Amino acid sequence: MVRRKNSSPVKQNATVAASLMASRRFRSNTSLIWNKSLVEDRQTIENFLLTGADEDFCALFEAVYPRVRRYFLLRGMEAGEAEDLAQDVMVIVYQRAGEVREKEFFHGWVFKVAKNELARFWRRRQTRSRLAEMEPLDDKLAEKLMTEMEVAGSSDFVEWVSYLEPAERDIIILRFVEELSYEELAVALAIPIGTVKWRLFNAKKKLAPIIKASLPKVRPRIN
Amino acid sequence: MMHVFTEEKWNDYIEGQIDDEARDRIEAHLIGCLSCWEFYERMANATRALRVSGAGMRAIFALQDQQLSAGLRGVFAKINGVEVERSERVARPRRAIQQKLDALTAVMAPMCGSQTAIKALRAAAQVSPARSLEWVTEDNWTSFLSSLKSIAAVMCGETGARLVWESGQF
Repeated sequence: MVRRKNSSPVKQNATVAASLMASRRFRSNTSLIWNKSLVEDRQTIENFLLTGADEDFCALFEAVYPRVRRYFLLRGMEAGEAEDLAQDVMVIVYQRAGEVREKEFFHGWVFKVAKNELARFWRRRQTRSRLAEMEPLDDKLAEKLMTEMEVAGSSDFVEWVSYLEPAERDIIILRFVEELSYEELAVALAIPIGTVKWRLFNAKKKLAPIIKASLPKVRPRIN
Repeated sequence: MMHVFTEEKWNDYIEGQIDDEARDRIEAHLIGCLSCWEFYERMANATRALRVSGAGMRAIFALQDQQLSAGLRGVFAKINGVEVERSERVARPRRAIQQKLDALTAVMAPMCGSQTAIKALRAAAQVSPARSLEWVTEDNWTSFLSSLKSIAAVMCGETGARLVWESGQF
Protein backbone atom coordinates (compact mmCIF):
# COMPACT_ATOMS: atom_id res chain seq x y z
CA MET A 1 0.00 0.00 0.00
CA VAL A 2 1.43 3.33 -1.04
CA ARG A 3 0.13 6.55 0.26
CA ARG A 4 0.66 9.52 -2.02
CA LYS A 5 0.78 13.10 -0.91
CA ASN A 6 -1.58 14.25 -3.65
CA SER A 7 -4.52 11.92 -2.80
CA SER A 8 -7.62 13.44 -1.21
CA PRO A 9 -7.77 13.60 2.65
CA VAL A 10 -10.89 11.33 2.81
CA LYS A 11 -9.26 8.72 0.59
CA GLN A 12 -6.03 9.08 2.56
CA ASN A 13 -7.81 8.43 5.84
CA ALA A 14 -9.62 5.38 4.46
CA THR A 15 -6.37 3.92 3.12
CA VAL A 16 -4.54 4.61 6.38
CA ALA A 17 -7.34 2.94 8.38
CA ALA A 18 -7.35 -0.13 6.08
CA SER A 19 -3.59 -0.38 6.33
CA LEU A 20 -3.70 -0.11 10.12
CA MET A 21 -6.23 -2.97 10.28
CA ALA A 22 -4.04 -5.12 8.02
CA SER A 23 -0.99 -4.53 10.18
CA ARG A 24 -2.99 -5.45 13.31
CA ARG A 25 -4.02 -8.75 11.67
CA PHE A 26 -0.40 -9.44 10.65
CA ARG A 27 0.78 -8.87 14.22
CA SER A 28 -1.89 -11.08 15.77
CA ASN A 29 -1.14 -13.98 13.33
CA THR A 30 2.59 -13.89 13.97
CA SER A 31 2.07 -13.76 17.72
CA LEU A 32 -0.08 -16.94 17.59
CA ILE A 33 2.72 -18.94 15.93
CA TRP A 34 5.28 -17.43 18.26
CA ASN A 35 3.26 -18.27 21.39
CA LYS A 36 3.05 -21.97 20.45
CA SER A 37 6.80 -22.43 20.12
CA LEU A 38 7.24 -20.34 23.26
CA VAL A 39 5.15 -22.77 25.32
CA GLU A 40 7.13 -25.80 24.07
CA ASP A 41 10.37 -23.96 24.74
CA ARG A 42 9.31 -23.04 28.26
CA GLN A 43 8.41 -26.66 29.01
CA THR A 44 11.85 -27.86 27.90
CA ILE A 45 13.56 -25.23 30.04
CA GLU A 46 11.42 -25.98 33.09
CA ASN A 47 12.08 -29.71 32.79
CA PHE A 48 15.83 -29.22 32.80
CA LEU A 49 15.80 -26.67 35.59
CA LEU A 50 13.65 -29.00 37.65
CA THR A 51 15.54 -32.27 37.15
CA GLY A 52 19.00 -31.29 35.86
CA ALA A 53 18.95 -34.72 34.18
CA ASP A 54 21.04 -35.46 31.08
CA GLU A 55 17.95 -36.44 29.03
CA ASP A 56 16.33 -33.09 29.77
CA PHE A 57 19.60 -31.37 28.96
CA CYS A 58 19.56 -33.08 25.53
CA ALA A 59 16.13 -31.59 24.80
CA LEU A 60 17.31 -28.20 25.99
CA PHE A 61 20.46 -28.54 23.90
CA GLU A 62 18.36 -29.12 20.80
CA ALA A 63 16.45 -25.92 21.46
CA VAL A 64 19.31 -23.70 22.56
CA TYR A 65 22.53 -24.79 20.82
CA PRO A 66 21.45 -23.92 17.23
CA ARG A 67 20.45 -20.44 18.40
CA VAL A 68 23.70 -19.74 20.20
CA ARG A 69 25.74 -21.07 17.28
CA ARG A 70 23.73 -18.91 14.87
CA TYR A 71 24.30 -15.86 17.05
CA PHE A 72 28.05 -16.42 16.94
CA LEU A 73 28.00 -16.92 13.18
CA LEU A 74 26.03 -13.73 12.67
CA ARG A 75 28.51 -11.92 14.90
CA GLY A 76 31.19 -12.84 12.36
CA MET A 77 32.78 -16.03 13.65
CA GLU A 78 33.98 -18.97 11.53
CA ALA A 79 31.81 -22.10 11.66
CA GLY A 80 34.34 -24.13 13.70
CA GLU A 81 34.89 -21.33 16.19
CA ALA A 82 31.15 -20.72 16.50
CA GLU A 83 30.53 -24.40 17.24
CA ASP A 84 33.32 -24.57 19.80
CA LEU A 85 32.16 -21.45 21.57
CA ALA A 86 28.49 -22.52 21.45
CA GLN A 87 29.56 -25.79 23.12
CA ASP A 88 31.36 -23.81 25.82
CA VAL A 89 28.15 -21.86 26.43
CA MET A 90 26.19 -25.12 26.69
CA VAL A 91 28.71 -26.46 29.23
CA ILE A 92 28.08 -23.34 31.33
CA VAL A 93 24.31 -23.84 30.90
CA TYR A 94 24.69 -27.46 32.08
CA GLN A 95 26.74 -26.51 35.10
CA ARG A 96 25.20 -23.22 36.17
CA ALA A 97 21.57 -23.26 35.03
CA GLY A 98 20.62 -23.69 38.69
CA GLU A 99 21.81 -20.14 39.31
CA VAL A 100 19.15 -18.67 36.98
CA ARG A 101 16.87 -16.59 39.16
CA GLU A 102 14.13 -15.79 36.65
CA LYS A 103 13.50 -18.88 34.58
CA GLU A 104 11.04 -17.07 32.30
CA PHE A 105 14.01 -15.05 31.01
CA PHE A 106 16.20 -18.12 30.59
CA HIS A 107 17.08 -17.30 26.97
CA GLY A 108 18.11 -13.83 28.08
CA TRP A 109 20.52 -15.43 30.55
CA VAL A 110 21.85 -17.83 27.89
CA PHE A 111 22.60 -14.97 25.51
CA LYS A 112 24.19 -12.99 28.32
CA VAL A 113 26.55 -15.95 28.82
CA ALA A 114 27.05 -16.13 25.04
CA LYS A 115 27.86 -12.43 24.85
CA ASN A 116 30.42 -12.76 27.66
CA GLU A 117 32.00 -15.79 25.99
CA LEU A 118 32.18 -13.86 22.71
CA ALA A 119 33.91 -10.94 24.44
CA ARG A 120 36.41 -13.36 26.03
CA PHE A 121 36.99 -14.99 22.65
CA TRP A 122 37.79 -11.67 20.96
CA ARG A 123 40.12 -10.71 23.82
CA ARG A 124 41.98 -14.04 23.52
CA ARG A 125 42.20 -13.71 19.75
CA GLN A 126 43.55 -10.18 20.06
CA THR A 127 46.31 -11.41 22.37
CA ARG A 128 47.11 -14.31 20.06
CA SER A 129 47.20 -12.18 16.93
CA ARG A 130 49.71 -9.90 18.62
CA LEU A 131 51.96 -12.91 19.14
CA ALA A 132 51.67 -14.56 15.76
CA GLU A 133 51.12 -13.33 12.26
CA MET A 134 48.23 -15.00 10.42
CA GLU A 135 49.29 -17.40 7.72
CA PRO A 136 47.49 -17.00 4.40
CA LEU A 137 45.11 -19.86 3.53
CA ASP A 138 46.00 -21.99 0.58
CA ASP A 139 43.29 -22.40 -2.09
CA LYS A 140 42.38 -25.97 -1.13
CA LEU A 141 41.88 -25.11 2.52
CA ALA A 142 39.93 -21.98 1.68
CA GLU A 143 37.63 -24.10 -0.50
CA LYS A 144 37.02 -26.46 2.43
CA LEU A 145 36.00 -23.60 4.64
CA MET A 146 32.70 -23.11 2.81
CA THR A 147 30.22 -22.18 5.49
CA GLU A 148 26.62 -21.20 5.79
CA MET A 149 27.92 -17.65 6.09
CA GLU A 150 28.55 -17.69 2.35
CA VAL A 151 24.87 -18.38 1.80
CA ALA A 152 23.88 -15.98 4.53
CA GLY A 153 26.37 -13.40 3.28
CA SER A 154 24.33 -12.91 0.16
CA SER A 155 21.18 -12.28 2.21
CA ASP A 156 19.87 -8.82 2.93
CA PHE A 157 19.93 -9.29 6.70
CA VAL A 158 23.70 -9.76 6.92
CA GLU A 159 24.21 -6.72 4.69
CA TRP A 160 21.83 -4.59 6.74
CA VAL A 161 23.39 -5.40 10.10
CA SER A 162 26.83 -4.68 8.70
CA TYR A 163 25.86 -0.98 8.76
CA LEU A 164 25.28 -1.11 12.51
CA GLU A 165 27.55 -0.70 15.52
CA PRO A 166 28.25 -3.95 17.45
CA ALA A 167 25.76 -3.07 20.22
CA GLU A 168 23.04 -2.28 17.67
CA ARG A 169 23.88 -5.44 15.73
CA ASP A 170 23.45 -7.47 18.93
CA ILE A 171 20.01 -6.08 19.65
CA ILE A 172 18.77 -6.52 16.06
CA ILE A 173 20.05 -10.12 15.82
CA LEU A 174 18.66 -11.08 19.21
CA ARG A 175 15.30 -9.45 18.51
CA PHE A 176 14.65 -10.46 14.91
CA VAL A 177 16.56 -13.72 14.49
CA GLU A 178 16.39 -15.09 18.04
CA GLU A 179 13.05 -13.45 18.82
CA LEU A 180 13.93 -12.48 22.38
CA SER A 181 11.32 -10.49 24.28
CA TYR A 182 12.11 -7.04 25.68
CA GLU A 183 12.61 -8.59 29.12
CA GLU A 184 14.97 -11.25 27.77
CA LEU A 185 16.88 -8.59 25.85
CA ALA A 186 17.21 -6.58 29.05
CA VAL A 187 18.73 -9.62 30.79
CA ALA A 188 20.96 -10.54 27.84
CA LEU A 189 22.35 -7.06 27.35
CA ALA A 190 22.24 -6.09 31.04
CA ILE A 191 20.32 -2.85 30.36
CA PRO A 192 16.91 -1.56 31.50
CA ILE A 193 13.84 -2.30 29.35
CA GLY A 194 13.46 1.38 28.47
CA THR A 195 16.98 1.37 27.02
CA VAL A 196 16.17 -1.83 25.11
CA LYS A 197 13.23 -0.12 23.40
CA TRP A 198 15.21 3.05 22.75
CA ARG A 199 18.14 1.13 21.23
CA LEU A 200 15.84 -1.04 19.16
CA PHE A 201 13.99 1.98 17.86
CA ASN A 202 17.17 3.83 16.93
CA ALA A 203 18.74 0.80 15.26
CA LYS A 204 15.59 0.37 13.16
CA LYS A 205 15.52 4.09 12.39
CA LYS A 206 19.10 3.79 11.13
CA LEU A 207 18.21 0.72 9.07
CA ALA A 208 14.92 2.01 7.62
CA PRO A 209 16.45 3.95 4.67
CA ILE A 210 18.97 1.15 4.02
CA ILE A 211 16.21 -1.45 3.96
CA LYS A 212 14.03 0.75 1.79
CA ALA A 213 16.84 1.18 -0.71
CA SER A 214 17.67 -2.52 -0.84
CA LEU A 215 14.15 -3.86 -1.30
CA PRO A 216 12.54 -3.96 -4.76
CA LYS A 217 10.51 -0.81 -5.32
CA VAL A 218 6.70 -1.11 -5.25
CA ARG A 219 5.15 0.80 -8.09
CA PRO A 220 2.28 3.10 -7.09
CA ARG A 221 -1.05 1.96 -8.45
CA ILE A 222 -2.61 4.17 -11.06
CA ASN A 223 -6.28 4.73 -10.39
CA MET B 1 9.50 13.42 12.43
CA MET B 2 7.83 12.02 15.56
CA HIS B 3 5.03 14.12 16.99
CA VAL B 4 3.81 13.78 20.58
CA PHE B 5 4.98 10.21 21.19
CA THR B 6 8.24 9.01 22.70
CA GLU B 7 10.62 6.62 20.95
CA GLU B 8 9.56 3.92 23.40
CA LYS B 9 5.89 4.35 22.54
CA TRP B 10 6.61 4.34 18.81
CA ASN B 11 8.67 1.22 19.21
CA ASP B 12 5.92 -0.51 21.20
CA TYR B 13 3.36 0.45 18.59
CA ILE B 14 5.45 -0.71 15.63
CA GLU B 15 6.25 -3.98 17.40
CA GLY B 16 2.58 -4.48 18.29
CA GLN B 17 3.23 -4.43 22.03
CA ILE B 18 1.26 -1.42 23.14
CA ASP B 19 -1.84 -1.10 25.30
CA ASP B 20 -5.16 -0.38 23.59
CA GLU B 21 -5.47 3.17 24.84
CA ALA B 22 -2.04 4.28 23.61
CA ARG B 23 -2.58 2.45 20.34
CA ASP B 24 -5.85 4.30 19.72
CA ARG B 25 -4.15 7.62 20.46
CA ILE B 26 -1.32 6.89 18.03
CA GLU B 27 -3.70 5.71 15.34
CA ALA B 28 -5.91 8.76 15.76
CA HIS B 29 -2.81 10.89 15.30
CA LEU B 30 -1.57 8.89 12.31
CA ILE B 31 -4.84 9.43 10.44
CA GLY B 32 -4.38 13.18 10.58
CA CYS B 33 -0.57 13.59 10.38
CA LEU B 34 1.06 12.82 7.06
CA SER B 35 4.67 13.14 8.24
CA CYS B 36 4.09 10.75 11.14
CA TRP B 37 2.28 8.35 8.85
CA GLU B 38 5.21 8.32 6.44
CA PHE B 39 7.60 7.84 9.31
CA TYR B 40 5.47 5.00 10.70
CA GLU B 41 5.29 3.37 7.28
CA ARG B 42 9.08 3.45 6.87
CA MET B 43 9.62 2.01 10.35
CA ALA B 44 6.88 -0.61 9.98
CA ASN B 45 8.29 -1.72 6.62
CA ALA B 46 11.76 -1.96 8.14
CA THR B 47 10.39 -3.99 11.07
CA ARG B 48 8.48 -6.31 8.72
CA ALA B 49 11.53 -6.75 6.49
CA LEU B 50 13.69 -7.53 9.52
CA ARG B 51 11.16 -10.11 10.76
CA VAL B 52 10.98 -11.84 7.37
CA SER B 53 14.74 -11.69 6.94
CA GLY B 54 15.27 -12.92 10.51
CA ALA B 55 13.09 -15.94 9.76
CA GLY B 56 15.21 -16.51 6.64
CA MET B 57 18.34 -16.51 8.80
CA ARG B 58 16.80 -19.13 11.09
CA ALA B 59 16.17 -21.34 8.06
CA ILE B 60 19.69 -20.86 6.65
CA PHE B 61 21.35 -21.77 9.93
CA ALA B 62 19.06 -24.70 10.76
CA LEU B 63 21.14 -27.69 11.89
CA GLN B 64 21.00 -31.28 10.66
CA ASP B 65 20.60 -34.09 13.21
CA GLN B 66 24.21 -35.13 12.61
CA GLN B 67 25.50 -31.65 13.41
CA LEU B 68 23.35 -31.54 16.52
CA SER B 69 24.58 -34.87 17.82
CA ALA B 70 28.20 -33.91 17.07
CA GLY B 71 27.63 -30.72 19.07
CA LEU B 72 26.07 -32.65 21.93
CA ARG B 73 28.97 -35.12 21.99
CA GLY B 74 31.34 -32.14 22.07
CA VAL B 75 29.50 -30.65 25.03
CA PHE B 76 29.51 -33.90 27.03
CA ALA B 77 33.20 -34.42 26.21
CA LYS B 78 33.90 -30.95 27.58
CA ILE B 79 31.73 -31.56 30.66
CA ASN B 80 33.53 -34.86 31.33
CA GLY B 81 36.88 -33.17 30.74
CA VAL B 82 36.02 -30.51 33.30
CA GLU B 83 34.85 -33.14 35.81
CA VAL B 84 37.97 -35.28 35.36
CA GLU B 85 40.11 -32.19 35.88
CA ARG B 86 38.10 -31.28 38.98
CA SER B 87 38.37 -34.79 40.46
CA GLU B 88 42.11 -34.75 39.73
CA ARG B 89 42.37 -31.44 41.55
CA VAL B 90 40.70 -33.11 44.55
CA ALA B 91 42.68 -36.35 44.20
CA ARG B 92 46.10 -34.68 44.02
CA PRO B 93 46.11 -33.28 47.61
CA ARG B 94 44.48 -36.51 48.81
CA ARG B 95 47.47 -38.46 47.51
CA ALA B 96 49.81 -36.07 49.33
CA ILE B 97 47.83 -36.52 52.58
CA GLN B 98 47.96 -40.31 52.24
CA GLN B 99 51.75 -40.19 51.78
CA LYS B 100 52.07 -38.09 54.95
CA LEU B 101 49.85 -40.52 56.91
CA ASP B 102 52.03 -43.42 55.73
CA ALA B 103 55.14 -41.50 56.75
CA LEU B 104 53.70 -40.85 60.25
CA THR B 105 52.85 -44.55 60.65
CA ALA B 106 56.41 -45.40 59.64
CA VAL B 107 57.83 -42.96 62.21
CA MET B 108 55.64 -44.26 65.06
CA ALA B 109 55.83 -48.00 64.26
CA PRO B 110 59.37 -48.59 65.66
CA MET B 111 58.34 -46.85 68.90
CA CYS B 112 54.97 -48.46 69.58
CA GLY B 113 54.33 -51.08 66.87
CA SER B 114 52.58 -50.58 63.55
CA GLN B 115 49.07 -51.62 64.73
CA THR B 116 49.20 -49.21 67.64
CA ALA B 117 50.54 -46.48 65.37
CA ILE B 118 47.53 -46.93 63.05
CA LYS B 119 45.18 -46.89 66.05
CA ALA B 120 46.84 -43.67 67.28
CA LEU B 121 46.33 -42.06 63.89
CA ARG B 122 42.65 -43.08 63.89
CA ALA B 123 42.15 -41.75 67.42
CA ALA B 124 43.82 -38.43 66.50
CA ALA B 125 41.54 -38.12 63.46
CA GLN B 126 38.48 -38.85 65.61
CA VAL B 127 39.21 -36.06 68.07
CA SER B 128 40.12 -33.60 65.30
CA PRO B 129 37.55 -31.77 63.09
CA ALA B 130 38.15 -34.45 60.39
CA ARG B 131 36.38 -37.06 62.62
CA SER B 132 37.88 -39.90 60.55
CA LEU B 133 41.15 -40.68 58.74
CA GLU B 134 39.40 -40.57 55.35
CA TRP B 135 38.37 -36.97 55.91
CA VAL B 136 41.76 -35.66 56.96
CA THR B 137 42.59 -32.89 54.48
CA GLU B 138 45.04 -30.01 54.14
CA ASP B 139 42.47 -27.79 55.86
CA ASN B 140 42.17 -29.84 59.07
CA TRP B 141 45.71 -31.27 58.98
CA THR B 142 47.17 -29.03 61.67
CA SER B 143 44.53 -29.91 64.28
CA PHE B 144 44.86 -33.61 63.36
CA LEU B 145 48.64 -33.41 63.76
CA SER B 146 48.49 -31.64 67.14
CA SER B 147 46.04 -34.32 68.41
CA LEU B 148 48.45 -37.00 67.18
CA LYS B 149 51.33 -35.20 68.88
CA SER B 150 49.45 -35.29 72.23
CA ILE B 151 48.73 -39.02 71.81
CA ALA B 152 52.33 -39.70 70.76
CA ALA B 153 53.57 -37.83 73.84
CA VAL B 154 51.73 -40.35 76.06
CA MET B 155 52.72 -43.41 74.01
CA CYS B 156 56.26 -42.59 72.87
CA GLY B 157 57.41 -39.75 75.14
CA GLU B 158 58.25 -36.09 74.36
CA THR B 159 61.03 -36.95 71.90
CA GLY B 160 58.76 -39.29 69.94
CA ALA B 161 56.01 -36.65 69.94
CA ARG B 162 58.43 -34.02 68.63
CA LEU B 163 59.55 -36.43 65.92
CA VAL B 164 55.93 -37.05 64.93
CA TRP B 165 55.25 -33.30 64.85
CA GLU B 166 58.25 -32.62 62.63
CA SER B 167 57.54 -35.52 60.30
CA GLY B 168 53.99 -34.33 59.90
CA GLN B 169 54.95 -30.88 58.58
CA PHE B 170 54.28 -30.22 54.87
